[in-house]
Amino acid sequence: MTDAVRAVGLHKTYGRGPAAVVALDDVSLALGKGTVSALLGPSGSGKSTLIKALGFVSPADRGEVLFEGRTVLKDGAHFADLAKLRRQHLGFVFQKANLTSFLTARENVEIACELGGKFDGRRRARELLRYLEVANREDAYPEMLSGGEQQRVAIARALANEPSLILADEPTAALDRVRSRTVMELFRKVAHERGAAVLVVTHDQRALDVFDVIYEMEDGRITHARPGEPLTSMGA
Amino acid sequence: MNLALRDLRRHVPRFAGTAAGLGLLLTVVIAMQGIYAGMVDDATILTRTMRADLWIVQRDTRGPFAEGSRLDPTVEARVAAVPGVRRARPYTYQLIQRDHRGVVMRIALVGLGWPDDRGQGLPLVRGRGLLQPHGELIVDASLGLALGDTLTLAGERYQIVGLTHDALTSGGDSVAFMTVADAQLVAYDQPAEATVLERARIVERLRLTDLGRSQPALAELATDPRWRPPALASPPLAAVLVTVDPHRLAAVQDTLRRWGDVTIYTQAEEEDLLLGGVVQRARMQIGLFTAILTLTAAVIVMMVIYNLTLEKTHDLAVLKLMGAPRLRLAGVVLQQAWMLGVLGYLLAYVLGELAYPSFPRRVVMTETIRVVAPAATFVMVTLASMLGLRHVLRIDPALALEG
Repeated sequence: MTDAVRAVGLHKTYGRGPAAVVALDDVSLALGKGTVSALLGPSGSGKSTLIKALGFVSPADRGEVLFEGRTVLKDGAHFADLAKLRRQHLGFVFQKANLTSFLTARENVEIACELGGKFDGRRRARELLRYLEVANREDAYPEMLSGGEQQRVAIARALANEPSLILADEPTAALDRVRSRTVMELFRKVAHERGAAVLVVTHDQRALDVFDVIYEMEDGRITHARPGEPLTSMGA
Repeated sequence: MNLALRDLRRHVPRFAGTAAGLGLLLTVVIAMQGIYAGMVDDATILTRTMRADLWIVQRDTRGPFAEGSRLDPTVEARVAAVPGVRRARPYTYQLIQRDHRGVVMRIALVGLGWPDDRGQGLPLVRGRGLLQPHGELIVDASLGLALGDTLTLAGERYQIVGLTHDALTSGGDSVAFMTVADAQLVAYDQPAEATVLERARIVERLRLTDLGRSQPALAELATDPRWRPPALASPPLAAVLVTVDPHRLAAVQDTLRRWGDVTIYTQAEEEDLLLGGVVQRARMQIGLFTAILTLTAAVIVMMVIYNLTLEKTHDLAVLKLMGAPRLRLAGVVLQQAWMLGVLGYLLAYVLGELAYPSFPRRVVMTETIRVVAPAATFVMVTLASMLGLRHVLRIDPALALEG
């Protein structure tokens, strides 16, 4: 299995002197294509900082990030157009769906396709909304969608350009148990059926059986990396 | 996908309201420029229609429009005798105010040198020039009078035989044309009471002088109602208009400059006097108003665009995180500013076409205004979008991850 992204020895510190806070302390991990991984840890453990570093949003101070075997970030310097990399190869899902408020559900997916430049936006958007079973809401604005529908549209948007890597930051925090489970299963489906590497930051202990790998973080370090628990409610 | 249009689709009332406000402000700004252009045109139309090569006025004055000029009537004949002069015409100019059918009318009365000048060079839109040396009048249509109407001035009835269009002074007063003789009658008309008082003053002066004491019959003559106090001099002219053989213009100017009682101006110099003296202050005032209004419009556009951008901060951060190029996001702000400008200008144009003809002052839309106004609007809204642009460019995509 090839790695979508590999991080080696990431360090990140916020502030200086006595007020300095170490957010990442020698973090290394690899996310393989076709796997869905969970990142667990208490608040302030560095999960969001790691997501930002892996998503080429806020580079680490030290360490290296390779994307599909190519060095993209090393010791704070970048060796590729980060915005282009994000729009063509990465997908993001957030705690709140973060859909663009002035675009309809379909347009939210369409704009991502347009930015990536890989697909015919409208057709691809409809296909993804059908895949995620929200096609009947394609003309609705975000405020008219339920939390679950919004998160499905957000996942469709993240999938728009067939990304190699999907980063999800507590995507089920605002959802009830049933909808949370559904969203987590969607991530597994996307990883396994579409070959993307998916990393989900979560506090939800009830859906750990969905993940292939589970990472645990504390004080800016990855303390445990273990295989996921046996699946309980759905087939892979 | 045009994000600017998609965003506006969700904010139609606010956007339309802002465009309407901008349009009204632009209507006023453009009107200011049009009024100024109208003032310049009005100021110079009087000189242009007279078609004179040289204006001869009282020595050391800037007459007859910028200040009063009293020229001895003999100047006309003296100038006509100068070699190279093709034509010399008397010219008078005075402002009068009369009530006519309950309406106060301010009229700039211009005297034409009958019989050479019958108003044939005037911008007549109806009627004809003067055919009689007395009792006929050409007026501007802005006075609201019709052909055949009569106007009573200095006890005489004058029939309107011709109408001009846009013959106004720089002060916006309508111009009327009559013969110099008629204009002088109006200018030096004396009420009966003033005549009686003048007779009394003459009797009193005679009583105090040797002349009166030695010739008592003079006092009896002065009190005879059939007798009018003698004019000491012919009524002065305001100017003499000269047409010159083009090849001898310099020579004529040299000759006339040597005369001790006159000052000469070319047509261009006379126009400069009008624009520099009469219109200059208005130009500064209008320029100031225009600057303030343009600044006001820019601040309104700036704040609306900035607020619209601030409201979209999180949306724009998400789009940045998704890899949207910064220029594309900046384009959203710029396009919205331009759309505001286009809508505002179109509204101002339509409103102007409807409203300007009803303005009390003439609003002239020159070609320069037609070109500069939309260009200036474009520049203004572009500059006004800078604050919003700055905000967009500084949005951190990491903001999208912070919920």
